[in-house]
Amino acid sequence: MPAGTIAVPFKIGGFANRRHGQQSDSKTRILETPNPPVLGDMAGQSVSRMEDATLVREAQRGNRAAFESLVRNYDQAVLRLALHLTGSEHEAQDVYQEAFLKAYKSIGNFRFECSFYTWIYRIVTNLCLDHLRKRQVRKEDAPVATDEHGEQYDLLDQVPDGRSGANPERELMRREMGTRIGAALEKLTPRERMVFELKHYQGLKLRTVGEVLNTTEETAKNTLFRATQKLRGALADIR
Amino acid sequence: MKCEWLRENLVLYAYNELADDARFETEQHLARCPECATELRSLGVFHAVFEQLPVQEPTPNLLAASRMRLQESLETAEQGGLWQRLTFDPFVWFRQISFAPALTAVIFIVGFAGGVGMTYRFLRADHFTGTTAAITSPSGMDESSVAGIRSISQQPGSNNVTIQYDSLSPKEAQGSLNDQRIQQLLLFAARNNYNSGVRMDSVSLLTQQPANDHVRETLVYALRYDSNPGVRLKALDGLSNYVKDDVRVRDAVLEALMDDSNQGVRIDALKLLNSVEADSSVRIVLQKLAQSDKNVYIRSQAKAMVAQMPEMN
Repeated sequence: MPAGTIAVPFKIGGFANRRHGQQSDSKTRILETPNPPVLGDMAGQSVSRMEDATLVREAQRGNRAAFESLVRNYDQAVLRLALHLTGSEHEAQDVYQEAFLKAYKSIGNFRFECSFYTWIYRIVTNLCLDHLRKRQVRKEDAPVATDEHGEQYDLLDQVPDGRSGANPERELMRREMGTRIGAALEKLTPRERMVFELKHYQGLKLRTVGEVLNTTEETAKNTLFRATQKLRGALADIR
Repeated sequence: MKCEWLRENLVLYAYNELADDARFETEQHLARCPECATELRSLGVFHAVFEQLPVQEPTPNLLAASRMRLQESLETAEQGGLWQRLTFDPFVWFRQISFAPALTAVIFIVGFAGGVGMTYRFLRADHFTGTTAAITSPSGMDESSVAGIRSISQQPGSNNVTIQYDSLSPKEAQGSLNDQRIQQLLLFAARNNYNSGVRMDSVSLLTQQPANDHVRETLVYALRYDSNPGVRLKALDGLSNYVKDDVRVRDAVLEALMDDSNQGVRIDALKLLNSVEADSSVRIVLQKLAQSDKNVYIRSQAKAMVAQMPEMN
């Protein structure tokens, strides 16, 4: 690294099953040398866009196997997004189910004005936004979730931790931090939460975030800035 | 570059969302401004906090259960058929009317039987024959009332266009190419008309305004779906200036190159890609064509283009 630059390594995104509009899969990045778009990624995106278009046309002709292939391409990402936003396996399953059924029923109206990827994400984010709005009204506690049998559990128990294994003190701190982060995320408006989710956790480009949320890239940028400022304010004392 | 601007955009920098030149300037500024460098470190700490609790992947069991539940539902679910759309989705119902002239005609006939006199008087009152007053109220035209475009002609030496179209009775509209109503009719004709000559005329005129997003979308639609190769060629021609900058146009041209049934359309599509041969998706398609395309000319041209490609790392 050249002298005079500031090395601040940290991870951004890196969790998503990356396809269109998503950043490279690098888990750790040095801020001063952001990764250029990887040639293979771009080619892969174009090819998968074309593959999707072929599958959508088949599905529009009534080929259910083609639709199921589309589901397989995206359902893990959809479930991950729903799970992270709802905090409940049961509700995530409902969102998953409703999103793909809606897509199946209305795929005949898909006019290729955007990619299938953007379209399905638009359906899912709308369902999740409805969920977030309802939850804001109910003011549920964020970290507590319910499993498929209706029993409550702490979401943080589900997070794998390879570092704290034999260190109860560190594990306790990690859980406290999780509670703080959950509370900070709850303070965001549903739209800010969604932009932050899609950008930070799902790794989408802001242009794609704008398309998914039916808004402009500029608005998505402003919303991300606002969300980050709020979160930094809420978590300022954590180091 | 001012510190204030930089701090507002530091988040974008951290997410690699700044343009190359802004990123370069940001890095230059960070190297000489300790305060902004501190702000960047603070942002790094913020991200590090989040990294300690990564998003959880759905468990294989949850994914499998979700898939199974979906499959069960798909067994009984039906894709939106006509009756379902008419019954349950008013938005789609209206779209059906807008984009399916035959359906419009059927609905008209049913309505006609129910109230001949009233309908007739209403239509007479609404009738226009290309008068200036009609032209100056573009919002008065209801797309759903257009049953089909009869003919399109451009007056020599001007950008005035005459369009004859069927509403509930034949009508005629005149106006400049810039007239919103004329544009609506052209867009409608390009997508919906059964007469390929009319589609050809409308696409030809639309190619004069490819900068308009709706026009470009319609040209892409024509290139992808029009059954007439002449119309597809015309649409391809209209899109030629946007292959480089608009990824949707590029995808449509690539699709035409790979799948179009007409060799002329494919060859024209291949020529258009000369300007963007450095694009990775174009490279892949060209390499594929160079190896295995059935058309000898396309194969050899693709080989030549692949051979001339600059090296990319």
